[in-house]
Amino acid sequence: MPNTTQHIWSYRALFLALCASVICIKMMPLSLDNSGVPGPDLLLALTLAWLLRQPAVVPLGAIVLVFLLADFLFQRPPGLWTLLVIITSEALRRRRLTMTEFPFLLEWSAFSGAVFVMILAERVLLWVLFVDPPPLGLSLAHAIVTAAIYPLVVGISKFLFGLRKIGPAEVEA
Amino acid sequence: MARETHDQAYARPVRRLLVTVLILVLIALVLVWRIDNPRIERMRAAIIDRVVPNMEWAMAPVTGLARMVDGFQSYARLYEQNEELRRELQQMRSWREAALQLEQENARLLDLNRVRLDPELTFVTGIVMADAGSPFRRSVLINVGARDGILDGWATMDGLGVVGRISGVGERTSRVLLLTDTNSRIPVTIQPSGQQALLMGDNSAAPMLDFIEAPEDIAAGDQIITSGDDGIFPPGLLVGQVVETNDRLLRARLAADMARLRFLRVMRSHPGTSLADPGALIGPPWPPPEGFVLPPDASSALRPGPRPDARLGLSREGTLE
Repeated sequence: MPNTTQHIWSYRALFLALCASVICIKMMPLSLDNSGVPGPDLLLALTLAWLLRQPAVVPLGAIVLVFLLADFLFQRPPGLWTLLVIITSEALRRRRLTMTEFPFLLEWSAFSGAVFVMILAERVLLWVLFVDPPPLGLSLAHAIVTAAIYPLVVGISKFLFGLRKIGPAEVEA
Repeated sequence: MARETHDQAYARPVRRLLVTVLILVLIALVLVWRIDNPRIERMRAAIIDRVVPNMEWAMAPVTGLARMVDGFQSYARLYEQNEELRRELQQMRSWREAALQLEQENARLLDLNRVRLDPELTFVTGIVMADAGSPFRRSVLINVGARDGILDGWATMDGLGVVGRISGVGERTSRVLLLTDTNSRIPVTIQPSGQQALLMGDNSAAPMLDFIEAPEDIAAGDQIITSGDDGIFPPGLLVGQVVETNDRLLRARLAADMARLRFLRVMRSHPGTSLADPGALIGPPWPPPEGFVLPPDASSALRPGPRPDARLGLSREGTLE
């Protein structure tokens, strides 16, 4: 049932719509003076959470489209964050079958580790390119908040959108 | 599934190749951005120009709703606000009297001196459409762009104080880099001591004041205005007030209401005159024009030798032609 074409395409459309609304909400001129904790990277949490559950609904093209658009709209170095997300998502896609047996806590820590590595890698790359990286404290706060939001994203995907985890048995079937 | 088994043999390598090519393309994009920044930034402005106005129909109602909720929350404090406003109104009345008198006096003095205020300092007003969407960037998008004659670098104000400067112009939109962004640096003057300083954004609500010659002359509450030393901002625009933090750093409390930016004025500034050559001696035209009769003693003194400034090795180019 979860592998039918109609199911996959409807979830793909849902993924793109969710990403579009996240970008829209982030662009709204409402949070102009929040100088405290930076908000979480919802796009990343959403993408990786869905990728670990049903990789077919988060194709490579959708990831490139969403993150490249976000890079351009959010005034980030174009392509850099997309590059890191692609590398991470491909690595996770390859290890997914072993990860499906993990309990949720282990999956969460894998996600958090991935986020921290990505943010550190971004800083290293910016440093290599002689671009001033954002303040370290802010980057780390951003990583922590993103890691903290992950269970919420997973819960919403599971209970609101009914996105179950496909195990290896169903993939082989 | 059948697809899984018989596509697998060549789907894997093809996919790996695709991912590799994609990664290389993205690396190239980052490098091109780093090397040829203006071109990519123009591309970014064009993309924003295409995308953001299309998002407006979805964003405007939600933004409006959120502002209404914000306004509704303030109903809870209606009574205190009312009292506060009454007190402020009372104070303002006395200020208004003072301002009216000063205005009359000012008009009289301007008239006496035949002062003409700079006629070219006009402004274009735009509406804030979107913000940067990233916690590390402080900027907003406004709905005026190249077709309204906006140029990079122009100062932007809300009703009261400077908000930032234009950085990136699209056809229909332009981006305002706020003073609080980590990339924002503007030269300011602190009144009444007249000290020059640099206002540096650091992602906090109150930007830092740095490169002050004599910080001991500056007290909290001093007024900060733009100095115009960068040749981009018009001088004399209000920025804010000096505040001193616990760690004895000087910061600026901005006059503009940065939390509620809705309408922004882009000041049309024109490039300031720059002093390119060093000052030269000003004297009579040299050599003397035809038919100019030098007094006899002067001619003997002047003709043979070079002029004193030429003897000293000073050049006189630029003053004669």
